[in-house]
Amino acid sequence: MSSIRPASALTEVTRVLLAVAIALAVAFLIVLATSEEPIKAFRTFLTAPFSSNRTRGLWIDDVAKLTLTGLAFSLVFQARQFALGVQGQVYVGGLAASFIALSPIGVTPLSIPLGMLVAMCAGSVWGFIPGYAKARFGASEIVSSLMLNYIAIRVVNWVIRAHLAPPGSGQLNSPDFPDASVLPAIIQGTRFDLGIVVALVMTGLVWFVLYRTVWGLKLRLVGHNPTFAEGAGIRANVVMISTMTVSGAIGGLLGAVYVQGRAFGRIAIDFDGNLAFEGILIAIVAKSRPLAVPVVALAYGYLRQGAQLMGLRTDVPTEILGVVQALIILLVASSFTLPGRAFIARLMGRKPEVAR
Amino acid sequence: MTDPILKATGITRIYPGGTVANDGVNLTVRPGEVHAVVGENGAGKSTLMKVLFGLEKPDAGSLTVNGQKVDFTGPKDAIEAGIGMVFQHFSLVPSFSVYENVVLGSEPAKGISFDRAKAIATVRELSQKFRLTVDPLPAVRRLPVGQQQRVEILKALYRDAQILILDEPTAVLAPQEVEELFTAIRALTAQGRTVIFIAHKLPEVLEISDRITVMRGGKTVGEVETKDVDESSLAAMMVGREVSLRVDRAATTGERALEVKNLRLVAGNGVTLADDLTLNVHHGEILGLVGVEGNGQAELLEAIAGLRPVAGGSLTLQGTPLDELTVLERRDRGLASIPEDRIAQGLATGASVAENLAATRLDDPRFVRRGILNLKGIRDNAVALIDRFSIRVGGPDVDVGTLSGGNMQKVVVARELSEQPQILLVNQPTRGVDLGATQFIWKSITDARDGGAAVLLSSADLQELLALSDRLVVFYRGRIVAAFVNHAELTSETLGAYMLGIETQTPEAMAGAMR
Ligand SMILES: Nc1ncnc2c1ncn2[C@@H]1O[C@H](COP(=O)(O)OP(=O)(O)OP(=O)(O)O)[C@@H](O)[C@H]1O
Ligand SMILES: [Mg+2]
Repeated sequence: MSSIRPASALTEVTRVLLAVAIALAVAFLIVLATSEEPIKAFRTFLTAPFSSNRTRGLWIDDVAKLTLTGLAFSLVFQARQFALGVQGQVYVGGLAASFIALSPIGVTPLSIPLGMLVAMCAGSVWGFIPGYAKARFGASEIVSSLMLNYIAIRVVNWVIRAHLAPPGSGQLNSPDFPDASVLPAIIQGTRFDLGIVVALVMTGLVWFVLYRTVWGLKLRLVGHNPTFAEGAGIRANVVMISTMTVSGAIGGLLGAVYVQGRAFGRIAIDFDGNLAFEGILIAIVAKSRPLAVPVVALAYGYLRQGAQLMGLRTDVPTEILGVVQALIILLVASSFTLPGRAFIARLMGRKPEVAR
Repeated sequence: MTDPILKATGITRIYPGGTVANDGVNLTVRPGEVHAVVGENGAGKSTLMKVLFGLEKPDAGSLTVNGQKVDFTGPKDAIEAGIGMVFQHFSLVPSFSVYENVVLGSEPAKGISFDRAKAIATVRELSQKFRLTVDPLPAVRRLPVGQQQRVEILKALYRDAQILILDEPTAVLAPQEVEELFTAIRALTAQGRTVIFIAHKLPEVLEISDRITVMRGGKTVGEVETKDVDESSLAAMMVGREVSLRVDRAATTGERALEVKNLRLVAGNGVTLADDLTLNVHHGEILGLVGVEGNGQAELLEAIAGLRPVAGGSLTLQGTPLDELTVLERRDRGLASIPEDRIAQGLATGASVAENLAATRLDDPRFVRRGILNLKGIRDNAVALIDRFSIRVGGPDVDVGTLSGGNMQKVVVARELSEQPQILLVNQPTRGVDLGATQFIWKSITDARDGGAAVLLSSADLQELLALSDRLVVFYRGRIVAAFVNHAELTSETLGAYMLGIETQTPEAMAGAMR
């Protein structure tokens, strides 16, 4: 939708906020029931990410990554394709960027841009395959993209262990990248690095492509109604494959941001910590609208860091985040309406209904 | 005079965005009657029905059922008050069986388990009582539309609806099915139920209803006894002017535009859909494709549009074999198509009106330059077409899915006829479209013809085919069984006999009409 009526956008936002509030309330009840020190735990959950430069860096680093994966998912969701391959794209992209960083180019200023470019190419190949398989053989993109994730994780982990880790060291990561291959920090000594800039630029780019280019219009039309698109002379299969490929490139870019980021500066096995998948939540809550993605990522990244810090500093396990996550998805995706809304409407003489 | 069973007073409903869909509407329905609500597209009929069914909350006005004031917060309340509604777009679960769909939500129970036997028996009983013949066992997805509609009606009756709202039930039905529906409606009212009935075809309204409420521009403009009105006085009330549905025949016929030779079409599962189709269409003529739905007419149109593979024979467009051309190339050569189902095939609901109006011309430099959208060009095009085709819509950026049915159809027509086509494929152009818009769409089609288009027209409405066509071919079981040059003595009865395979034409007679 190129235009959102303010009224519907507003109810949309209230709905999401309410979903978050409900999820937090449930989380609080669980903390209350399980923790020795529930108030401290919950305060950590809600305030810790903002407490120091270091934790703020952790938060923003997550936001950048969540934004990128959210964008990758938004793109395929808008074309109504349920490709879930971002994680695999992150791995192949990360590996590709690592090859550049660990090669002689790694010490030159070319390393970062070239690494990103190569990572995007690798990711797009990983995105292209399920699209092509669907167009050609009718293979479900859900199944094939999940399979490709699995393959990518296995193969990349093996390459790291067997070829990139210093021989005989038993380490599960590559040596550190040269400085020229690590993203510069924006706030020194924190993880607040160039990644967030990359994510924001990508957000603008995806928005532009979706709403200002003919390819984006075709993509959205195919998403709304593929039968109609075919009849209008749009080749739905071409659009579908190219969408998955471009989304794959964003996934690959995220891989580069991972390994080049100040958090890593090297590649390690299982490096994505399953964050790539959380882009699904970001995209669902953002209704696949690119400009909403960083906003949702900002809020969700905060909860995510909060949960992690709570897990470290108190007796409540990080897994509480899973509950919050599941509830938000459930509430947002099930288009629930506010309980008692009719009652409130009646109390207020039905004013909310006419509010425009 | 009996007390009304349902009374709506001063109903006002303003949609977010500011459309005043209902503006102080009054409706009085008496028990046991068939009450028709008529009015042009976008007059607010469906909105009023949604208010009666608790789906839309009125911003002002009141409702009484059986003399009791009611205030519905949702359909559940309306169902409890004895109101049932069948929408034009059904809300059945396709993979569930008929009886499961009927009882879904209030299943009969035996202990804590679902009492299937009882459900099936109840559905059988209901369908006999109200003459809504349908087998309870098969999955709904396998039923034709007409039967699915019966399932919807049974669903409402199972919940003991005393007042049944049918929003444009006949728009999706073949003439035979309409008669069957009317039989059921008569059985309903004979047993004391009340029916509210919406339709655009006035002969249907006059046949089935007892009283009629007329709406125009969100207001009620009158309530009449059916016996006091005829088609033209009712039409004048609806539109506010005299409407004539007369069209002129083609003056001259030009060159051969499209040749179909021994065409064979096969479904994905190997079933033959059409075989040995041979016909020619000329510039400047309308060729009517007559036949009961599912006899190959729609499939022929799809094949010409490039949306269905050809299994044998040939299609030639102005000397070029069509099968070498993509959909886009066909469109570039002047092919335009108004498909049967506007929501499933003709529009991208969710996208804006402007985007829908530009969707078939994304290589036009007015809309796209070097891959970048020209938003102003797309908007200007929409503004111009909205004006030229008098589409009732808030503006070019409105989601096309929120338009009333007839206005959605106008969007499709506007897009396909915005430029003079060479070949025009038309399937059910005026389904669910009001009188004024029907007149307008008919005029648009004949204008396209006079501009040189070769038109293929398929319709379930024989009157429409007889009114517009210059020549007609009749389809039966995937083959062409008869052909006519249209003339004043040709009647729908004659066509009907060929459509049902009762009569056959000699090859000579057929050849005579096959230019
Ligand atoms: N959900 C909606 N949001 C905004 N406007 C709407 C919505 N539904 C309907 N409208 C507008 O309200 C007006 C009345 O629509 P309604 O569907 O009630 O007309 P109708 O009489 O049923 O027409 P039709 O015969 O074409 O079905 C139209 O202008 C329509 O565009
Ligand atoms: Mg309607």
